[in-house]
Amino acid sequence: MSKLNPHIAPPAFASRLLRWFCHSDFHEELAGDLEENFLKNTEIYGLKKAKRKYTIEVLGLLRPSVIKKVRLFNYQNNTAMFKNYTLVAFRNLSRNRLFSAINILGLAMSMAVALLAIVFVTEIYSFDEFHKNKDRIYRVNNIVIKPDGELSVPYASTSLLAAQKIREQVPGIEKVASFFKGFYGDLKTENETYSIEGYFASKEFFEVFTFPMVQGNPETALTEPYSLVLTESTAIKMFNSTDVLGKTLLRRKTPYTITAVVKDPPRNSHLRFDVLGAQSTLASETRNSVLTDWNSMWSSYAYLLVSENRNLEQIQASIDQIAKEENAKSQSLNAKLRIERMSDIFPGEDRWNEVGTVMPNQRLSAMIILALIVIFSACFNYANLSIARSLKRAKEIGVRKVVGAKQGQIFTQFITESILVSLISLILAFFLFRLIRPEFLSLDFYISRTTTLELTTSTYFYFFLFTVLIGFLAGCIPALVMTNFKPISIMKGIANMKVSEGINIRKILIGIQFVLSMGFAILVTLTYKQYQFALNFDLGYETEAILNVELQGNDFDIVKSAFIQIPEIEGISGSAFMPSTGSTNSDHAKIESKADSVVVYSIRINEDYIQNLKHEILAGGPINDDLQKKQMIVNEAFLKQFELGSPIDAIGQIVDYYNENREIVGVIEDFHYGTIYNDIQPFAFIQSEGYLNYTNLKIRSKDMNSTMAKIANAWNSIDSNHDLQASFFDEDIERTYKDLSSSMKTYGLLSIVAISISILGLLGMAVYTAEARLKELTIRKVLGASVQSLVSLLSKNFVIIFIVSAAVAIPTSYYLFKNTIAQNMEYTINIGFWELGSGAILVITTALLTISSQAIKAAKANPSESLRSE
Amino acid sequence: MKGTNLGEFEEVVLLTIAALLTEAYSVAICDEIERITDRKVKLGVVHSVLNRLEEKGFVNSQLGEATKVRGGRRKRYFEVTHAGKATLQKVKSQRDELWKLIPEFNLKMI
Repeated sequence: MSKLNPHIAPPAFASRLLRWFCHSDFHEELAGDLEENFLKNTEIYGLKKAKRKYTIEVLGLLRPSVIKKVRLFNYQNNTAMFKNYTLVAFRNLSRNRLFSAINILGLAMSMAVALLAIVFVTEIYSFDEFHKNKDRIYRVNNIVIKPDGELSVPYASTSLLAAQKIREQVPGIEKVASFFKGFYGDLKTENETYSIEGYFASKEFFEVFTFPMVQGNPETALTEPYSLVLTESTAIKMFNSTDVLGKTLLRRKTPYTITAVVKDPPRNSHLRFDVLGAQSTLASETRNSVLTDWNSMWSSYAYLLVSENRNLEQIQASIDQIAKEENAKSQSLNAKLRIERMSDIFPGEDRWNEVGTVMPNQRLSAMIILALIVIFSACFNYANLSIARSLKRAKEIGVRKVVGAKQGQIFTQFITESILVSLISLILAFFLFRLIRPEFLSLDFYISRTTTLELTTSTYFYFFLFTVLIGFLAGCIPALVMTNFKPISIMKGIANMKVSEGINIRKILIGIQFVLSMGFAILVTLTYKQYQFALNFDLGYETEAILNVELQGNDFDIVKSAFIQIPEIEGISGSAFMPSTGSTNSDHAKIESKADSVVVYSIRINEDYIQNLKHEILAGGPINDDLQKKQMIVNEAFLKQFELGSPIDAIGQIVDYYNENREIVGVIEDFHYGTIYNDIQPFAFIQSEGYLNYTNLKIRSKDMNSTMAKIANAWNSIDSNHDLQASFFDEDIERTYKDLSSSMKTYGLLSIVAISISILGLLGMAVYTAEARLKELTIRKVLGASVQSLVSLLSKNFVIIFIVSAAVAIPTSYYLFKNTIAQNMEYTINIGFWELGSGAILVITTALLTISSQAIKAAKANPSESLRSE
Repeated sequence: MKGTNLGEFEEVVLLTIAALLTEAYSVAICDEIERITDRKVKLGVVHSVLNRLEEKGFVNSQLGEATKVRGGRRKRYFEVTHAGKATLQKVKSQRDELWKLIPEFNLKMI
């Protein structure tokens, strides 16, 4: 038989397959048998068929008696081995203090972030879980289709009319609970006034939702008009008791009778209220248009309890039919009705006019992704350093293998080690978690409104599970690398061993880490600049030293007369709300001679406002409070839109706006009534007509504290029931950009964590490289190399990694900034070299300092020290 | 005792090993069975039967010398142990006894 002919050989794949699955006890004989058969078959049937027969035979060997036993653990004495692994692990940790510290610290930092994410996510997903019928509750959402185009706007609210129609017409629905969010303001007992918030709820409210009663009958509590349901805490606040059935409270001079007391809505409910009024009350009040108008959909909500054997498509189809009929009848609103599962509300899609605060899905997933990134970064560190150090432990592994350790056992050993490290990190992470929790809570409006980050038993369990998982993840790569060491090559000498694949993995891991660090750093810089830009944005009028005081229902003139006595107050004006803080108000305006009506934004103000906030007047003058003559002041964009020519020409034009014919009495320069997210559109100031909610005080004071005290005193003299609600205009604007500042803080926190982790990892790598190449360095030095050249020799590789990482990080973070943070902004910063480069440069500089500190140490060492030791 | 029971195919394999004397290794056993019984025998099946026989203590095995054929891989040679021989004997005597009980005319092929 001509064995030497290389063409006559069994198919390589099948042979490899056999080697892979076959038990090592049998492989030799079986492979031999197969090959013998193969050669025989070649002679009888020819090569091709022989090959096929060989493959079939190999597959035929896939039977339990032949296949390797898959065993990770050696069951006979695993406790003893685990004891040994732990012991060895602790010895290793204490021998390499620096590396252990780097690993534990890095893992702990990232785990603290991950713990936050775990607590946060569990808490978010517990929302609305307490309702008994949670799987059968659906909310009706309006999707408003704008007349000018295809643009549709999702709202969480719907009209009470829609709720009523569904109640009457749609089959397959057990109950429809609807409510109107207008039950706010003051409730009066005999001698006290309490400010409350709540809903006008329909009588099915307690049948759809699970809010247990303390007192009263859930079925009839909201049936009669003017009945009132209090929460437990509200009842106790008002009456010091929950035994309050039948008592009356005054709201807007109308008595309401308490018919029930319910337990407070739990914290993880997206519906929150202090009181509930019967929705039937609305019918007896004058504003019953809320009940019957298709287009009063802005603050009323409908929840459906569908029957057990529901057919959602059918329900949706019937609801679509209702929407179609109503849209046909209505001129002002074109809306679709969509049903949405209760569990999709929180966390859910970002909708307008939500009942309460809702955690948008994107925010939640962003949080999870960011936590994962940080965690992976720390795992990379562990993997990196462990692989780098693995040569030091090669002898141990070799001895273990020669003595008879199976691959699985070596793997288990290193996994045990990394899980141990991650458990130690967990303890540290837990303290870090306590430390950053308050920071995190104050980070974001959404977070503090919706979560408390309290720890429960289940979260502790998740923590533990997560830690073990992290230990496994971090230990996986190094354990695999070390498991695959061949005992022979270890015994021949470590110097001959090549871990070249390891080096590549390490380079990539470091690279990824630095991309993340730089990316975060750049995003922080950009967001910070954008935030500063927004705060210092030239609005076109003066906001400095303006204190805005909420009137809280008090008459403007009374408040004015109280404040005017204070000498530090230079000017007093009134407005319905404050511009440039995100609120807008708009209506269609029409000029007789021009064809189209145009959407014009507006704010109601009194006569002193223009002067008080130093608006630039181009023509005419301020409006006065004379209601006989309806007046308005418009901006330049208004003139352009209506083609009114020069400012002076525009004076005297009559505009049909907000149900009145108003005369233009003044033209002002364009200013930013919106935020940096909006460009300037036609705008008008119109007369207050009694709708003032704020007074704006221009203050000139050397001693702000005493002035504020005077203002508070003046306030208390006119209204003792409400606390003074005042804030400076600049603070209001700052609050407007809270979103921006909170993303800035989030990125800031994460970038600190990410940069620290990667610098720690880098420090470890630098120490290791310097140590491993110590002999080479000293020989170079003895031969005359300068410190400088040695340092550059050590840093060269890292520098290349940094440059590549920067090349990836800069465009990526620029793209991210443009597409997330600055996505809807009309006015953004100019992004130049320094905005993009500074973050990267900062990270690279820190990294280089870290490396060179180690390199210099190695280069300056006395050559005789290290050469003598052998 | 279930463990020492001898199945039909096991018996065939065991007899073949005995018949092949010192040349009993898996490929040879396969060929011999195929030649005599005229049925297709899979290597994997024979291999697992051999393992089972060894577990039951009916055969011993040892690896032979490396040769140039078979890619230098050694063969595993099997021989019947004393227990194996005893079992074979027992089986044969049981069969013989049964044969004796059958009246001759009953098995005559017509």
